Amino acid sequence: MAEIGWLNDMNEALARAKAEKKPVLLDFFNPG
Amino acid sequence: MGAVTYPDGKVTEFVNGRIVPLQLKFDAQPYAGNFNVKWTPTLVTLDELGKEHHRIVGFVPPEEFIPAMLLGIAKANFDYDRFAEALADLEVVVRDYPKSKAAPEAIFLRGVAGYKSTHDPKPLKAAYEKLQAEYPGNEWTDRAQPYRLLP
Repeated sequence: MAEIGWLNDMNEALARAKAEKKPVLLDFFNPG
Repeated sequence: MGAVTYPDGKVTEFVNGRIVPLQLKFDAQPYAGNFNVKWTPTLVTLDELGKEHHRIVGFVPPEEFIPAMLLGIAKANFDYDRFAEALADLEVVVRDYPKSKAAPEAIFLRGVAGYKSTHDPKPLKAAYEKLQAEYPGNEWTDRAQPYRLLP
């Protein structure tokens, strides 16, 4: 089953957003 | 979110296709401070410069997630005057997710984007009429009330 390919680095996410012309979903989460 | 919403097949497909997914711990600095995170989950839609356009605090069930994200993406495009792109995603929310919590705001924003892209007030009045007919009492219906007076 496919999973969401989460990133965990802001700069990497923004660079990918710029390259792919997509917005970023930033999920602040509590791992518990 | 991790136990219920993100494993949903449609949610996974949408996220991997339409948006760059980034997860940070609630106390990850400087971001938790910069974004004033006080509770989890906090879901923020950012543009490629890291600017915030939409925020949801609290759990979002699978059936609400896609329309909520489409609304966030549309708001990012709207904020940059990319009205055609915003309207395309708002149309999907209105057409395919009419029972979602995002739908009334999508109708409102569709009216505003339609007006701003054409300078024709008809989309504003149409937004009010649809909201009044289908979502009476909703806060977005209230916010659109002045548009009922438009010609």
